[in-house]
Amino acid sequence: MTTRTMAARSFDAFARMSVGRAFGSTVGKIAGGFIVLLVLTAIFAPWIAPFDYAAQNLANGNTPPAWPHLLGTDEFGRDVLSRVIYGARTSLSVSGTAIAISMTVGMTLGAAAGNFGGFFERAVMTVVDLTWSFPDILIALIFVAIIGPGLTSTTFAIAIAYLAQFTRLTRAQIVRLKRETFIEATINLGAKPAHILLRHLMPNAIAPVIVVGMLAIGDGIVLEATLGFFGLGAQPPTPSWGAMMSSGTAQLFLSPWVIIFPGIVVAVTVIAVNLFGDELIRALDIRDRLRGA
Amino acid sequence: MLARYTFQRILMTIPVSIAISIVIFMIVRLLPGDPIDNLIRVGSSPAARAELVAKYGLDRSLIAQYFTWVSQMFRGDFGDAIVLRRPVADLIAQNLPYSLTLGGLAFLFSSVFGMILGTVSAMTRNPFVERFVRGFILLGSTVPGFWLALLLILLFSVQLGWFPVSGARGWDSLVLPVMTIGFGGIALVARVTRVALMDAGREDFVTLLHAKGLSRGTILRRHLLPHAMLPVVTILALRIGWILGGAVTVEFVFGRPGLGSLLIRALGQRDYPVVQGCLLMLALAVMLGTLIGDVAQAAMDPRIREAKS
Amino acid sequence: MRYSTKNRLLSGSAIVTAAFLATGAIAQEAIIAFSSGELGATSYDPIRSSNLNTATSMIYDRLVEQDADQSFHPHLATSWEESADGMEWVFKLKEGVAFHDGTPFNAQTVADWIPDFIDTENAYLTAAIASVEVVDDLTVKFVMARPEPNLLYNLGSAFMGIPSQVAYDELGENYGVTGAVGTGPFKFESFDIGLETVLVRNDDYAWASDLSANQGAAHLERVTFREIPDQSTAFLELKTGGVDILLGVPTDFLEILAAEPDVSVIQMPGTGIIYMPINVTSAPFDDPLVRQATGLAIDQDAILNSVYNGVGAAAHNFLISSLPEATVADGLNVSHDPTRAGELLDQAGWMMGEGGARMKDGKPLEVKLFTENSTEFNRLTQVVQAQLAEVGMVADITVFDSSTIRDEYKADRHQLAVRGYDWNNSDILDWFFSGERLGYPNVSMWNDPEGERLNKIAMTESATSAQRIANFTAYHEYILSQYLFVPIYQPTTNIAYNATRVSVPDPVRGTRFRSQTLIDITMVE
Repeated sequence: MTTRTMAARSFDAFARMSVGRAFGSTVGKIAGGFIVLLVLTAIFAPWIAPFDYAAQNLANGNTPPAWPHLLGTDEFGRDVLSRVIYGARTSLSVSGTAIAISMTVGMTLGAAAGNFGGFFERAVMTVVDLTWSFPDILIALIFVAIIGPGLTSTTFAIAIAYLAQFTRLTRAQIVRLKRETFIEATINLGAKPAHILLRHLMPNAIAPVIVVGMLAIGDGIVLEATLGFFGLGAQPPTPSWGAMMSSGTAQLFLSPWVIIFPGIVVAVTVIAVNLFGDELIRALDIRDRLRGA
Repeated sequence: MLARYTFQRILMTIPVSIAISIVIFMIVRLLPGDPIDNLIRVGSSPAARAELVAKYGLDRSLIAQYFTWVSQMFRGDFGDAIVLRRPVADLIAQNLPYSLTLGGLAFLFSSVFGMILGTVSAMTRNPFVERFVRGFILLGSTVPGFWLALLLILLFSVQLGWFPVSGARGWDSLVLPVMTIGFGGIALVARVTRVALMDAGREDFVTLLHAKGLSRGTILRRHLLPHAMLPVVTILALRIGWILGGAVTVEFVFGRPGLGSLLIRALGQRDYPVVQGCLLMLALAVMLGTLIGDVAQAAMDPRIREAKS
Repeated sequence: MRYSTKNRLLSGSAIVTAAFLATGAIAQEAIIAFSSGELGATSYDPIRSSNLNTATSMIYDRLVEQDADQSFHPHLATSWEESADGMEWVFKLKEGVAFHDGTPFNAQTVADWIPDFIDTENAYLTAAIASVEVVDDLTVKFVMARPEPNLLYNLGSAFMGIPSQVAYDELGENYGVTGAVGTGPFKFESFDIGLETVLVRNDDYAWASDLSANQGAAHLERVTFREIPDQSTAFLELKTGGVDILLGVPTDFLEILAAEPDVSVIQMPGTGIIYMPINVTSAPFDDPLVRQATGLAIDQDAILNSVYNGVGAAAHNFLISSLPEATVADGLNVSHDPTRAGELLDQAGWMMGEGGARMKDGKPLEVKLFTENSTEFNRLTQVVQAQLAEVGMVADITVFDSSTIRDEYKADRHQLAVRGYDWNNSDILDWFFSGERLGYPNVSMWNDPEGERLNKIAMTESATSAQRIANFTAYHEYILSQYLFVPIYQPTTNIAYNATRVSVPDPVRGTRFRSQTLIDITMVE
C-alpha cells in the first residue's frame, strides 16, 4: 500500500513539476506536442483513419500518394495512411507496455540489489552487466525464438532487452543515495530498512528512472520496428510500422512510399521522444545522476 | 598498481565465465523444437530416433551434457553442428572474419567521423554548425538500421548502381553495410568526444596552456584530443558486443555471412552446438571488451583502481 | 567443338590461361540464384536427403532424363528394355564415364548404389526393385518385386543422381555436406549451408545427354549458386549485375523485368502447386462441411489475376494439370462459390454473427493460418485471409521460418497453412497424404483405412502405366472428396538472366532447369 502511494505521490510531484517545465522550452513544446498528438492519434485511430486498415482492394494496389490515398496504397490496395495511423497503436502500446514491465521489474531488482548488497547484488549485477553488453536486437531475437512470434512475445522480448538498463540505473541511484547524509541520519535514528527503502530511497531514485524509461520508449519503438521487419512482431494484417516495411526491397521498386513513410514516422517519433527526454533531464537537472550509471 | 588491478580484473572473469556458460547452455535447452526432428527421416521408428538422440548425447542428464561440453571446449572442441555437420569451430572460423571486417571497418569509420564531428561541435562557436552536429547525432542514434540500409540500397545500388545490393564478394559490398552500422556509431562517438573535449577544456591545465600562449590548434592536437581519446576507446570497447552481434540486422538486409546471421540461422534450425558456440564467442568478445574498457578507464583514472581493488 | 579445343588448351597450360586473361578474356564464371522454393537444402546427398536443390543435378548424372514432353532420353544408360510382364529391366550403360574422384562408373556401381536407398526417406523410389544383377561390365539387370510403371520417372528424378560409392562410404554421415562426388558436368567445391554453393567445371565431361547441344565439358568454368532468402533482393541483384541467372522470378516482377533492356526471361511450365492444407484433426475442421466451405471460399481466379498478374494458372485439385491423374470426375474440382460456402457453414451450425464473424455455441469461427516467411507467401496468405473473412471465417496469420513451421506441423499445432510443393508426378499424393507421415509432410493429418487402401493400390499394385494412372486418379479423387486441402495456384517457372552476361538456350529442355541446360550456357563476350 505504502509503496504504491509513495510512488504515486512522488510521480505526481515529478509530473507536475518537471513535465510542465520540460514543456517550457520551444523544443520541448514541439517534441511534447508531437508526442501528445501521436498518443491521441493512436487512441482515436478508428475515427481518424480515412479507411479500414485491413480492407484489401487488389485492383488498386501500389498506387502512389494521391487523393484519396494521401500516402498511397500498398500491394494489397490498403491505405498506407490508415495503416500508419493504426500502426501508432501497435508501436506505442507494445513499446510502452514493454518498457513499463521492464521498468517495474528492473527497479525492483535494482533496488533489491542496491539495498541488500552482498552475494545477491553480485549475482544480479553479473547477469545484468552481461545482458547489457549484448545488443538489444540479439536478446530480443533469441527470446522470440524461444517463445515464438507475435505481439505478446515481442512485448516481453523488448522488456527483457532493456531490463539490464533499469536494473543498473536503479541500483546506482540507491547506492548513491545510501551514502548521502540524510539517509545516514535516518539510519542512525533507527528507521527500519524497508521503511528507508520505500520512503526515502525509492522516491528519490524514481525520477531518473522515469526519464530513462521515457527515452527507452524511443528505443523500444525502434526495436519493435526491427522485430516487425524480421516478421516476428505483429502478425498480418495488424499494422505495425516495422512490419509495414518488412516486405523488404521489393517495395523499393513497386511502391517505395510503403517503406519510406513508416520509416519517417518511426524516426520522427523517436527524435521527438529523445528531445522531450533531454528537456526533462534539463528540467529536472539530473544529467550528472544519469551519467554515473 | 595498474598491473595488480588488471590481474584482479582478469581473475574476476572466471566466475563470470562460469555463469555465462551455464546461462548459454540453458538458453539453448529452452528453445522449442528439436534438432533431431530436422535430421530424422519422417515416419522412422522410435528406436532409430533413440539411436540418433544417443549419438548426439542428448539422452544424458543436463549436468553430464554440460560438463562434456565445457571439458571439450577447453580442448578447443566446440562440438559438431548437428544440422550443418561440421565442427562448430570451423563454422565460427569461417564467419568470424566477415564479422570482424565489417565490425572493424564500421568501428574505424565511426571513430574517425565521430571524432571529427565531435571535435568540430565542441570547438566551434558557430550555432549553425552546432545545431547541424546535434541534429546529426540525434538522427544517427534514432533512425532504425534496417530502414537506413533500405534507403542506402535504394539510392546507391538501385538509382546510382555504385555498390552491390547484397552479398559479401569484394570490397564494394562492404561500403553500404559499413555506412549503415557506422552511422549509428558516429553519433555515439561524436557525443562522447564532444562531452570529453568540453570537460577537458574546463580543466586547469588547459587554462594554463592558453595562458602560456599556445595556439588553440596545438592545444587541441597535443593535449585535448589524446585526453578525449580514452573515453571514446572505452565506450567502443564496452560496445564490442554491439559491433559483432548487433550487425545481425545489417547482415540480414544485405545477405552477408557473419556471426550474427550464423546465430540466427542456427536458431531457426535448432542447431544447439552452433547456437552455443556463437553465443559463447559473443560473450567472450563482450567480456574482453569490458576488460579492455575497464583497464583503459583505470589507466586513465587512478581513483577507479583504488575503489575497485 | 571450338570450345572443347580451347578448354584443352586452357587446362593444358597455365601460361596460356594467363595469356587469355591478359588479353581480356572474361572470367567464365556465372552466379545463379536459387528460386525461393528450393532454399534451405542442407545436403547434396541424393540418397538420404528429402530436399534437393537445382545444383544437385549439376554434380550428378542420372541413368535417364525426362524431357518437357514427358519422354525419356538416354543419359548414363544408353538403352533399356522392360520385360513383357514388367518384372525385369535391362539397362545398357555408357562407356568411359568416370566420377570426379577418378573411380569408373559401371554396372557394379549401379548394383552397389540401389541398395543404399533401403531405410531412407527416398526408399519408395527403389522399393519395387528386388535385386540388381551385373550382367557384364556395362549391362545391369533390375529384377523387380512387382511391376513399376514409374521406374523411369524415378530414375530420372534428382534423387537418383548417382554418387561415387567410394566417396559415399568414406564420408558417411557427412556425405553431401562436406563433399559430394558424382559424374556430372560440375564438381562440388564448397557448400555453405544457407548461403552459397560453389561448383567448378568437370573438364573430363564427355557424356552429356541428347538434351544438350554441347556434348563436351561445360562452357562455364565456375558456377556459384547463391541462396537469397528475399526474392526481391534476388531480383535487385539480377538488375544490378550481382546475379547472372535467377531461377524462379516472382511473377509480379515480370512486368518490371520486361522493361529492363538487359534482362531476358524464359517461361517454363511449372512443376508444382500452391495449396492450403487443412488439419482435419483440429476443430472446427474435423467437420467435413467446414472443410468443404473453406475450399469454396477461396477465389483462385482472383488470386491468379491480382497476386500473380494472370501468369500461371488457377489450381483446382492437387496435381499439375499436365499430369493425366489431374483429370478427375466432375464436381470434385474445387472452385470459388461463396454462396454455397455460406450455406454449408450455416448447415454446420456456424451462423453469421455481428461484425462479420460466424458464431456457434457462443464461439466465433476463428482459426490459425500459418505461412512461411517469404515475400510471396506472405502476400498470398493475406489475400487468403481476406477471402476467408468474406465467408465469415476469421483467420489469424502466424509467419514462421521454414524449419520452425515443420516443428509446428509435427507438434500438431496448426489448422490452416499456405504452402507449396514442386514435384511433377502423381506419387506426390502419397508423400503428402499417406498415414505414415502424419504432421509433416502429411500436414492435413489425414489417416483413414480407405485412403491407405487406395494409396497402397496406387503405389504398389499397378502393372502398367494405364493402370497406374487409373489407380492414382482414384486415390486423387478420394482425397478430393474428403476436402483435405484447398488448391490455390499453379505457378509457371520463370527464369530470368542478364543477357549482357550470359546466353541461355530457350526453350529450356527437360522438365526443369538442370545440368543439360547449364552446360549449354555461354558467357557473352
